[in-house]
Amino acid sequence: MAMQKQYYRRKKVCKFCVERIDSINYKDVKLLSQFVPERSKIMPRRISGVCTPHQRLLSDAIKKARNIALLPFASE
Amino acid sequence: MRNYEIMFIVNPTAADEDVDKINGQIEGVITAGGGKAEKIEKLGKRRLAYIVKKFREGSFVLFTVQADGAIIREVERRLRVMDLVIKYLTVRMDDDMKRLAKIKAHRQKRAAHRGRARGEASDRRGPSPAEQMPEE
Repeated sequence: MAMQKQYYRRKKVCKFCVERIDSINYKDVKLLSQFVPERSKIMPRRISGVCTPHQRLLSDAIKKARNIALLPFASE
Repeated sequence: MRNYEIMFIVNPTAADEDVDKINGQIEGVITAGGGKAEKIEKLGKRRLAYIVKKFREGSFVLFTVQADGAIIREVERRLRVMDLVIKYLTVRMDDDMKRLAKIKAHRQKRAAHRGRARGEASDRRGPSPAEQMPEE
């Protein structure tokens, strides 16, 4: 263990588990866009705190949404 | 028979009747093959996230379909050929629906179990906020 951190870091929780969102649909742009930052890359789990099963569903949904031009592949 | 969703984008300059005509044709293909078009939704004009065939916007149409793979193949072929359709996407929904049903059943079972454990069998709508399920 290196130097002890003094400040308290809040534990991140999975939005989908907490709010009991079962279906992550590719049509739900409002929900999905919360997980695509400016560069329109998929937000990594370590930042968003989403759990592994939900992240898998989420990334699938985002990729489908990209395919039908609801979300961008890349935006500069 | 499987459940699919077919979404496609029509050229934004197309008239409303043209969109209806395309919908009619697609529905015809589905029913002719023995499938069923459960829902046809026109989602209206939307801005596209990126440029598709030089268009910045398009009118979206969503089909909810019960059909076999062969029908879907035929529908996709038709969509590819149509000039007015600029993009399409077919998604299989039954795996997702199965998963959702499983989760729902699991929750109901757990809620019932918890209610019984507390001796609240008569009071199904438990007062504890923890077991308040989203109504479906």
